[in-house]
Amino acid sequence: MTPLPLRSRVAHILQREVGRLSAIFWVLPITFILHVLMGYHIKDAAQVRTRYRALVKESGRPLLICPNHLTMMDSAVIAWALGGSWWYLFHYSRIPWNIPEYNNFASQWPTRIGAWLTKCIPVIRGGRREDISRVIKRVQHLLSRGETALIFPEAGRSRSGRVEADTVAHAVGRILTSVPGCQPLCVYLRGDRQRTWSTVPARGDSFYIDFEVVEPVSDHSGMRRSRDFSQQILDRLVGMEEEYFAGR
Amino acid sequence: MTRDEIFAKVVEIVKPFVKNEDALAAVTDDTNILEDLKVNSARLVDIILNFEDEFDIEVEDEDADAVNTVGDAVALILEKLS
Repeated sequence: MTPLPLRSRVAHILQREVGRLSAIFWVLPITFILHVLMGYHIKDAAQVRTRYRALVKESGRPLLICPNHLTMMDSAVIAWALGGSWWYLFHYSRIPWNIPEYNNFASQWPTRIGAWLTKCIPVIRGGRREDISRVIKRVQHLLSRGETALIFPEAGRSRSGRVEADTVAHAVGRILTSVPGCQPLCVYLRGDRQRTWSTVPARGDSFYIDFEVVEPVSDHSGMRRSRDFSQQILDRLVGMEEEYFAGR
Repeated sequence: MTRDEIFAKVVEIVKPFVKNEDALAAVTDDTNILEDLKVNSARLVDIILNFEDEFDIEVEDEDADAVNTVGDAVALILEKLS
């Protein structure tokens, strides 16, 4: 893993610390929007959070959250579902760094500021290789410092409404193979009223969430190893989705 | 293997992923794989893995960052073969 230039490391420290100092002004309002204004509800939230917090406490390893992807609010809902707002105020490093699409979340300066404060590193999907690589290196750096990040292993929101195992995003495997000890956490999230993909979940929706640590393995090296890791993460999400539908 | 032969193989490997056939017909070293040939960015990894198989080389993730154009791909393969 190539070390980040000093300037980028300083920029990260600044972003993280300003976000931390202002966390009470954005963590709680985001929760208010999700829970009160949008009326979202997490099923078995207390149990989910107890499990997640225990996992974080026991493992002590950098965590790469790898969820399925159906709406543009998935990362916010997942973060809220796993940690709960108050816990994050005291465990700021566990708020996942998020990699949103630049054109959706950071193309205007107000949203860019919001993304910067809320631990986002925007990326232009399908953009120049060097730019994407720079973002991946930033995530590698953060994870190597023991932080948590969230990346969708599908190449976009699933158009079919089901995990699309043939649209694997390579970045997940690349990060996992390059950050020693990094632990992938597969997360399956679905609102009861979510039939296919959408911009936001339906107002008042109730979310099922489950998660599972996986340990990908590969006999290969180089890009093929990264690809194997990404594919295994995605295959596990397919399995978790099958379990979800089987249990309905 | 000559540079021209590698170039021809690269074009052959890229072809199934190309959405802009006109750009492929006029392909040069400077043709951008994503922007000109309209290859889906997620498929670029498949293309590079196909390079590995075809030329019996191993490509690291960071090597692949430099592959933007057909000429970049040819240069990477030449470097790995040397």
